This record gives sequence, C-alpha cells and structure tokens, in this order.
Amino acid sequence: MTSSTTSTTVLGKSVQRPDALDKVTGGKHYPVNVTLPGMLHAKLLRSPYPHARITGIDASAAAKLPGVKAVLLPQDVPQRKYCPVYFVPTLAPSMVQDMLIMSDTVRYAGQPVAAVAATTAAIAEQALELIEVDYEELPAVFDADAAMAEGAPQIHEGAENNIAVNPVVAFGDAEAAFEKADHIFEGVYETQRVHTCYMEPRVCVVDSDTGGNLTVHSSMQHLFGLREKLAFVLGMPESKVRVIKPAYIGGGFGGKLDIGYIEPVAALLSLKTGRPVRIEQTRYEDFISTTRNPIRVYLKTGISKDGRFVARYAESTLDCGAHATHGAEVINVHGMFGILLTYPCPDQHWEGKTVYTNNMIGGGYRGYGSPQGAFAVESQIDEICEELGFDPVEFRLKNSYHQGDPHPFNPQAKLDSYRFQDCLTQAAERIGWSSRKAAGSDQGVKKRGIGLGCQPIWVSGCVGFPDIYEHSGAIVKLNRDGTADLSTAAVDLGSGQITTLCMIAAEELGLEADQVRMTYADTDTVPFDAPSHASRVTYSSGNAVKAAAGQARQRLLEVAGGLLEASPDDLEVCEGMVRVKGSPDSQISVVDVVTRAESPFVVMTEEGPQPTNLEEKGTIIGLSSMAPPANPSPATVEFVEVEVDTETGQVKILRVVFAHDLGKLIHPAGAEGQVEGGFQQGMGYALMENLLFDPDSGACLSSDFLDYKMPTAVEMPPKIESIFIESNEPTGPFGAKSLSEPCVTVPAPAIANAIYNAVGVRVRELPITPEKILAGLGKL
Amino acid sequence: MKQLISIEINGEVHELAVAPQDSLLHVLREELGLIGTKKGCDTGGCGCCTVQIDGRAVYSCMTYAMSVQGKPVVTIEGITENGQLDPLQQAFIDAGAVQCGYCTCGTIMAARELLATVPDPDESQIRHAIAGNLCRCTGYQKIVDAIKLAAANSA
Ligand code: FES
Ligand code: FES
Repeated sequence: MTSSTTSTTVLGKSVQRPDALDKVTGGKHYPVNVTLPGMLHAKLLRSPYPHARITGIDASAAAKLPGVKAVLLPQDVPQRKYCPVYFVPTLAPSMVQDMLIMSDTVRYAGQPVAAVAATTAAIAEQALELIEVDYEELPAVFDADAAMAEGAPQIHEGAENNIAVNPVVAFGDAEAAFEKADHIFEGVYETQRVHTCYMEPRVCVVDSDTGGNLTVHSSMQHLFGLREKLAFVLGMPESKVRVIKPAYIGGGFGGKLDIGYIEPVAALLSLKTGRPVRIEQTRYEDFISTTRNPIRVYLKTGISKDGRFVARYAESTLDCGAHATHGAEVINVHGMFGILLTYPCPDQHWEGKTVYTNNMIGGGYRGYGSPQGAFAVESQIDEICEELGFDPVEFRLKNSYHQGDPHPFNPQAKLDSYRFQDCLTQAAERIGWSSRKAAGSDQGVKKRGIGLGCQPIWVSGCVGFPDIYEHSGAIVKLNRDGTADLSTAAVDLGSGQITTLCMIAAEELGLEADQVRMTYADTDTVPFDAPSHASRVTYSSGNAVKAAAGQARQRLLEVAGGLLEASPDDLEVCEGMVRVKGSPDSQISVVDVVTRAESPFVVMTEEGPQPTNLEEKGTIIGLSSMAPPANPSPATVEFVEVEVDTETGQVKILRVVFAHDLGKLIHPAGAEGQVEGGFQQGMGYALMENLLFDPDSGACLSSDFLDYKMPTAVEMPPKIESIFIESNEPTGPFGAKSLSEPCVTVPAPAIANAIYNAVGVRVRELPITPEKILAGLGKL
Repeated sequence: MKQLISIEINGEVHELAVAPQDSLLHVLREELGLIGTKKGCDTGGCGCCTVQIDGRAVYSCMTYAMSVQGKPVVTIEGITENGQLDPLQQAFIDAGAVQCGYCTCGTIMAARELLATVPDPDESQIRHAIAGNLCRCTGYQKIVDAIKLAAANSA
C-alpha cells in the first residue's frame, strides 16, 4: 500500500551520504584521530586474576621512569558506585550500581587496577610492567548455574545467590492454561558471548583546565550519557563536563553505549597533570569490555489442536559477568520483546535471572536481548510445526497481531502501521516457500533447506520503558546562502543518522538534501538527545528535527509573508523559493528572505536606501526539545536458504530474503545497507562467532580477530534481498518508524531452521558449528 | 636504537628516525600524520591498515617501517590526483558502500591491487581480494558492487 504513504520530494531517494567523500579520502574526523597539543598517552594495568583482593601496590618504579607524568591507583579514585549504562539515569532503580573505576577487589580477569600517563604510549606500556601488585586470590566461578549454587563464591555483597536482578512477568494463569493445552513443547536454547566488533576501537581524549572543567572526545553513542556518568563518578557538577560530538564514529552497534574505564581514568589523569590524556583500547581490551550476554532459555509452550498458542512458560538465565551493567536491562527487553510479546498468547509466565560470574562484563549489542529470545521462540515454532504438521508461515499468520490491534507493550496505543502479514506473505513468495521440501529430503551429499525467522514486535525508541531516557532535540538555522544548518546530539555510528536527519530537515524546509548540513555540537550547545540506540534515531530524533525545521519554516514564511504581502498560511516553499500557493509569479527566494531577516535596518536597493521593519529581524531558526509521541512497532521476517555439506558439516548461505515494515522508506540504499550489514552480524552469531574464555582461569582466549572468526566477503551470500513494506505511521516523521535492530535478530533462527530443513538436525545451542551438525548427523 | 631511514610514500621521500620495532602503520599515523590509514586491531586481523607496497596490498600494522626502504608505499592519501578521486573512491560513494567508513580506506587499497592486476574481475575474485578486510557495517554487498562499478568505469 505504498499509495497510503506520505508524498515527499527528498525522502525516498538514495541521495549521496554527506560523510562519504570525507570517508573515502581518509576520514579525518574519527575520534581515534583526535590529538591535542601536549597530549599524554595512558595505559591501564589489568588484573591477570578473575577474583582477587589487592593487598598492596607499589608503583614507585613506574613513577620514576622518564616520560611518566602520572600514575593512578585505586586509592586515587573516587569510590562512587555506578551503573555505566548511558541511556538510564545513573541511579535508576531498575539498574544496579555495582561498579567502581578502580577497586581493591578484582572480579574478572582484565579488570583495571592501575593506570599510567606518559609522553608516549610505549613509555606508558613499559611503566605498567614496573608496577608491583600483590593479589590475594579468591575462588572464582565462571558458570551462571554454578554461581547460583550453594557455597559458590560471593561476587558482590548483598547479591543473594549471585543474582543481580530477577524479574518475573506474568499474564493470565499459565499453569491453568497448560492444563487445557492439546500439545506441550519444551526445550532449552542457549546462546554464546559475542562482540559487536565495531572497527574503530574505543578511544578517548580528555582535557582539563585550571578551573577543573573537562572537555571530552570519545568514540561513543551518547554525548549526554557520557557527560552524566562521568560527572557522577568523579563527583563533579555536570556543567563542568563538556562532551564534544564526534562528526562520526567507526561503528558502535550498542558496544559504545556505556562509559568505559577509559574516560574516567583519562579525566583523573588529566586533572592530575593539567594535560590532555588519550587512551585507546587494544582489540583485546575491546573484546573484554562489552559483549552480548549469553542467555540460556528454557521455553515451554502449550498449543491448541487448531495450532494456536494457549500457554507459555519461560525461564531465562543471563550470565552478566562481574558487573550487572546492561545485563539488568537486557534481561527485561529479552523477556518482553524476545519472548512474551512476540505472538499473542493469553496466559504466560516468564522469569529472568541476571547472574554474576567472574566472567567479563556484558554490554549492549543490536537487538538487546531479543536475538537470544528469538532463537528460542522461532526455533521452537519450527519444532512445533514439524511435529504437528503445520506450515510455519501459516502458523505464524494465524498467531500474529494485526494492524489496528492494541500495541502489546503500550496498550493505550494501537499498531497503526503494522504490516507483519504482508512481510510474511511477500517474502515467502519471493523465496519460493511453496516449493520447500520436507526436512532432510534433499538428495546427495550437499543438502539444501529453507528456514524462516521473525521478529514480530520491536521498538522505535523507548517510550513506555520506565527508566529509560527518550527525548530528543534539534536546532535548525537557515543561512543567507539558502542552506540550512542542523545540529543535534544524535551521533552517527555509521548507519546514516546524519543523512536521514538532514533529509528530514530538508523535506520539511522545502530544500534539497544537500542543502542541509549537520554541524558541530557538544553538550553545551545542543538540547539533550537520548543515545543512538534502540532503533530510535529516525523516529525519535527525526520527529525532533522535523519539529525544529517546521519552526524555522514557519518563521521563514512569516518574514516572506511580510515581503510578499501575503498570509504565511498561503505560502509554500519549494526549489529554494517561497511562493504564494496558486500564484507562481508571486515569489521570493529563500536566500532573499533569510538575507533580509538578518540585514541591517536600512538596505541598499537599486532605488537607493530603503528602510526595513523590525518585526522581520532575527536569524531564522527553529528549536525543539521533546519526547516522541509513541513507540510504534516494526515487524520483520527473514527467509534463508542454506546448503549443508553432510560430509564436512559446513553451511553455505545461498539466499536471503528479508522483509521489514518500516513506515516510510527514507533512504533506500541506506536501509538496504543496514539489512546487509545486519545479516553479516546475525550470520556470524548463528554459525561462528564465539568469544572464548578459559574455563579454569577466566582468561579471554579470543583476544584478536585471528581468534574471533566473523564472516568475510567470501562466506557471505551473493545477495541479500530486501523488501521494504511501506505504510504511514501516523506518529512518525513523514510516516517513518524504525529499521536498525531486527535485521540482526532474525538471521540466527532463520539459519537454524533452514539447517533443520536441509538435514533434519536441530541445534539448540549457538553457534551452529560444523561439529554440532556432524554430531547431529551421527557422524561424530 | 632509532635509525635514520628514507622511505617513499605517495611519491614523496621522507627521512625518518625509526625504531626497529616500529610498524609502518605507526610511522604513517604517528610520525607523518597520514591518518587515512586506520588501526582496527594492530595484529593483522582486520585489514583497516591496508596500504600498497610496490603495488601489493599489505597490512601496514604487520610491516616493519624499516623493511619498506626502497619500496614505494601508496596510502589512501596518495590515490587522489589533482583533486580527482580514484575510480574506486568514486564508486564506493556511488554504490553506497560507505557506512561507518572505518574499513573503507583499507578495503579500497586492497581492491586497488586487484584492479591493477585483474581489470575485469568476477565476483569471486573480488570477494577473495577483500577477504582480509573485515567490515562490520555493510555485509560487503555494496562494497562488492562498488568494486564492480569501478572496474566498469575504468574499462
Ligand atoms: S590494523 Fe592492521 S590488520 Fe588490523
Ligand atoms: S563501513 Fe563500518 S566497518 Fe566497514
């Protein structure tokens, strides 16, 4: 129903990304390139033990090394417990404040215990080797079940059985409903620890002045979150911390959604030395900094004879490692969007446990708990259909929400633009679903199969989440040359936030996309924006940009109205001109209007000096700071065709068809790029990626890309086909809602189900390695 | 410890004092300010640091600066001539192959070796030529499209 979408002139075209030229010629503006005069380089000393008490540190030899300017030890660091997650207030009750910048207790191998700032990174590194730390080793535990067992080492005081949070959500009466179910299915589905693998390392440069004010550059996804967390941990007023917005960063994917150790350590070292301090993480440090938490899901589902969900019970156990960090929120998003809200089911009970272990800490990662849930739910649907003889497409169609239903997460709103059924039927047709063979029936050594995975309900931001920030702001200013400047705190992670927001502003202003420029911003100069996360920027920041541009446009029309002697309501802007609707001759250029608004009182004309009037004076500018009206759900469906070699267990992806209901399609090439990149991440999760740790020492065994395998151009399928189903989301900017995350969530179950269809082997534990397939075939 | 060497980068000869363990990547970024070459891992696993040495695409993080004496080095800064983009740079823009862009310069340098040796590569040759260049944003599809486009435009 493309006809029902809002008609636009700029949106819907794959305009050139404004940052592309700079990036292909060297990319000057990454945070990793920031250098300041007199800058020092710092390095962190990390604990080799997973659980230990520090009984003494001697850094005197390090301090004496020529070139060393400052040493930071646990006793130099404010002992304020915090939660590092950017998108919640630091003391949000739903989160756990269990971290310190440095502490005398070490809870995972790799936790920082000291830092050195020196004139070069090499000297700082050398100095670390001169620091003597005495550790008293403590018993450690690396498995969530073992951590909950009686007698397990206590990792944090007060966390009974090492459980950090333990949410329970129930609808109706699941126990009674299971009694009435005709069929009951149960299974345990496990996912592993993976890293976002942004290519630009986490890096920061922090400078201080004599007044104790900090200026911060960092590769991160949230200016205001960094300001808030840094001010909190250092015990400073927020106004003394200025965070500079990077023009762009080298990827984030949720992995830069929390304050690291590096920013507070660099800040303290800068305050000590009065010099700018830079810290860049090594890839090993990145790997042990933020990951997608592994979750084990026990899932039990009751089905009626006619193939409807009647009851669901689930228990999810999340290993958050040494600190709760994102794990306290990931578990909730996982429970709600990964399990409970996926398909309507009247009676459900779910319990989540986020469990401390002495493993590395977790983090944010696209999908935020839903990939772990979707792997369980979507795999089990396939098992149900196989066993009871239902067609998996028909089964989902029968069990889905419909357009106009109350939104399952925010029931006061409706699923106004929901097109899940269209996603399913159109993608099924494209892949050739009707010719799918029975499981394992393909002949020969290499067998083909088709599988399906869905994410029926997701978010466009965080309206409805009690503790999560969700507001945005923008400033739009018209220039005398007829262009416009847009400034917002929304960070471009690479996924095209600059392009999308400039296009939205241009559309509203009646300009071309390349006439709007994203300009400098920092926390002192622009309104608050929540992070670039939760698939929220197009929808939420987009609404704020549209509002600010709308305000600027209104002022433009008022000034133009005075000059054209027309009411602003009778004017329109297009092709750089303000026109009286219906009288094309009565027009004035945007350039002339803006110039006039900023002119001195008297302007020179061909007829000589002419007075202007005071009412028209002032820069034409619009400002917004607002929460979005809702949190509309997109829907996502993916079909994958695989070929499994029954001799080697190797899986080759042959075809991918992805359908997404996104409201208005703003930048087609950008949207496809999200889907294609999302598939790479989801495929890696399904088949190969695994951050490995030594089960005895807790040491990270995958410390670089040689040990952490992700799909290269060779393993990727030749083509990922995107189908974008447009509709008009009434609360979105020009009808748009979100896109980013579900394309990472759906590949794993789609691939798992395709493998089952090819060879009849059900693997319930990611990654699905050749060994697991061969074992399933009875060949190992 | 440091030793004076002379290396040719983008047609310009530089006299530099380098330590034996200094990588070419380190010298490019830290000594010469050629920051278009990126560090994604420093251990030979990502390809962000790819440059051309004697025409061959090489990881500069795994190359000792001392070892490139007498061998011309080309970095991303050296492929734009008189403001005219290399066909690969233009094709990466046109095909929408740039997202975060952190991998882009390294991948362009790898593809440059390919197109210099195989002017009309097939899909598999392209994919193998950039198999040492990780990208986490694009899924490589539009990168492959860009390399095809550059080959077609240079034909
Ligand atoms: S930085 Fe050289 S291969 Fe990664
Ligand atoms: S564009 Fe981001 S890593 Fe390739």
